[in-house]
Amino acid sequence: MPIQVRLYGDLRKILPQHNYSKGAPSVFDIDGTEIKLVSDIFKKIGIEESETSHIFVNRIFSGLRKKVKDGDRVAIFPKNMGLLYKWYFKKVEDNDE
Amino acid sequence: MPRKILRVNMKKLETNYEDLPEKYQYLGGRGLTSTIVAEEVPPTCHPLGPHNKVVLAPGIVTGTNAPSSGRLSVGGKSPLTGGIKEANVGTNFAQMLGRMRIGAIIIEGQTEGKDYYLLKITNDKTEFIKANKWIGKGLYEVYKDLRKEFGEKIGICGVGIAAELFGGNSGLCFNDPEGLPSRYAGRGGLGAVMASRGLKFIVVDETGAPGVEIKNEEVFKKGTAKLLKALGDHDVTKPGGALNTYGTSVLINIINENGGLPQRNFSRGQDERAEKVSGEAKAEEIKKRGGVRPHSCHTGCVIRCSEVWTKPNGKDPVGVLEYESVWALGPNCEIYDLDTIGELNRACNDLGLDTIETGTTLAVAMEGGLADFGDGKAALKLLEEIRNKTPTGRILANGTEFTGKAFGVTRIPTVKGQSMPAYDPRAIKGIGVTYATTPMGADHTAGYAIATEIMGVGGEADRLDTKKAELSRNLQVATAVVDSTGYCLFIAFAILDIVEGLEGVVESVNGVLGTSLTLDDIPTIGMQVIETEIKFNKAAGFTSLDDRLPEFMKEEKFPPDNEVFNVSDEELDSVFKF
Repeated sequence: MPIQVRLYGDLRKILPQHNYSKGAPSVFDIDGTEIKLVSDIFKKIGIEESETSHIFVNRIFSGLRKKVKDGDRVAIFPKNMGLLYKWYFKKVEDNDE
Repeated sequence: MPRKILRVNMKKLETNYEDLPEKYQYLGGRGLTSTIVAEEVPPTCHPLGPHNKVVLAPGIVTGTNAPSSGRLSVGGKSPLTGGIKEANVGTNFAQMLGRMRIGAIIIEGQTEGKDYYLLKITNDKTEFIKANKWIGKGLYEVYKDLRKEFGEKIGICGVGIAAELFGGNSGLCFNDPEGLPSRYAGRGGLGAVMASRGLKFIVVDETGAPGVEIKNEEVFKKGTAKLLKALGDHDVTKPGGALNTYGTSVLINIINENGGLPQRNFSRGQDERAEKVSGEAKAEEIKKRGGVRPHSCHTGCVIRCSEVWTKPNGKDPVGVLEYESVWALGPNCEIYDLDTIGELNRACNDLGLDTIETGTTLAVAMEGGLADFGDGKAALKLLEEIRNKTPTGRILANGTEFTGKAFGVTRIPTVKGQSMPAYDPRAIKGIGVTYATTPMGADHTAGYAIATEIMGVGGEADRLDTKKAELSRNLQVATAVVDSTGYCLFIAFAILDIVEGLEGVVESVNGVLGTSLTLDDIPTIGMQVIETEIKFNKAAGFTSLDDRLPEFMKEEKFPPDNEVFNVSDEELDSVFKF
């Protein structure tokens, strides 16, 4: 089972060929065999941390060093959708990597 | 000329201006409404009886050119909770009161007959006008009439059909800058308190108003300039930021992704259909239809999170569809269609209902068998029961808990009789602590300032961690301060990250009042407000047992996290100990 990536808002524009319905994220799967961390997903799809605000891995507010594996759901919100989480919740990272 | 209190005696149909007492000189907004209510309203009185009062107070800087500062507090004893209430709204009406140097309006006593009145306030006089011709009419039509009769520059405060029923879910409705009845001091049923005095509308014409007295212009200007820069620089509050681009509904997809967006009367926290009613979907539709986005709820707001939603043809403007409203009338009722939500929101505005309490009432009514979940047409019909003043309508107008009891529902998402808003406390424990312990009843804004750093405490927390007393207390205290200044709560995002912005807030308040407050004074001021409110509630009969979430949330697992609300009673009781 691959990793499901969900790009919200303006981040959808980086995959112009991808179809999505109004208000919904652009959802696609990537093979997890070469992906260990959220940062690997960023590299693979070509986005920078500065373009983003909230990242959720399986509903948990996460940082770039959060580990990911096949079957995970990774949601990424653009910078101009940043609200609430930065101030209220602890960003989870896997520091042993 | 210092600020005055305008005392409105509805029994005698008289008004009287009083000097603002010395002890109130440094109060505004929530600090002033809660202090006056605590001093003048007997805590055990019947909320709809002769001894309750409605108090309206603009914030300290409201009416000046300080950015995003057009907020008004409305206070009284709530018929929904039985405790003290402060409901907060952004509207030009607030700024007009500030510029007329009206520190507070206190509405007391009850008319002896069945007549309803309109109170017209101008700079040099007040006048009572019979308002019976507007009984039973929707507020969209009435606000048009009022602007025709009294001019387009007036500020309007009114109550609707739900308040005529003395419904515990009736708010005070204020006009937006274009005159739509879309800005609400909605929570807690204070509309019924105003209606039960015999007062239906307040119309304000500020022509000739002297403006807010600013004791130290130099300090004020320096402070507002710092705040303006912080709001313009910060990612959340600047033009093109989250609030400006998508409005508060930006949270639909975020909270849904996080598993905390309650669906089907708080049954689960995630549903992909919610994407259809997201902030992105709404912004796109508004653009296509020719509505307005972004928009300001009051003149001089630089954040501009508001909007004007319309029908598909671009006509029949509703006003703003806030995140909480979209959620309550949408996903919580399993309605995933923005046009249906828009019409439900229009009905709430028209009838004088709080959208949050209405959505949760409809969901409980659906659970009780009055309609099927997801049936938008049936939901609209239920609101027509209120318009037609039927027995069912009277039940619904009294809110979620009353409706749940009437129809045998045990899963009722309320605290102190007031329904929870759009974050499930099982998925986000900290907000649950706020719901439980705020003197307002379940209320997100009471602890939403996200202002932990003001109090010098770490600002980050795991949403499932149950140790949240300190976090919630700090948020509630900071919120009480912001609600007293007249600034919009959303400035909190900017002033937390940019210390000059926070300094600017304090300096602007010092400029108006001629005080020398510092950042260190903030916790004391906020705690005084909350202490006043909690003392009132205790005298009204509340105990720590009222600071609890409903039973089903402690036992029923909430998917997809499958968490229950497991914050201990001891933790809840440690939030406020006086």
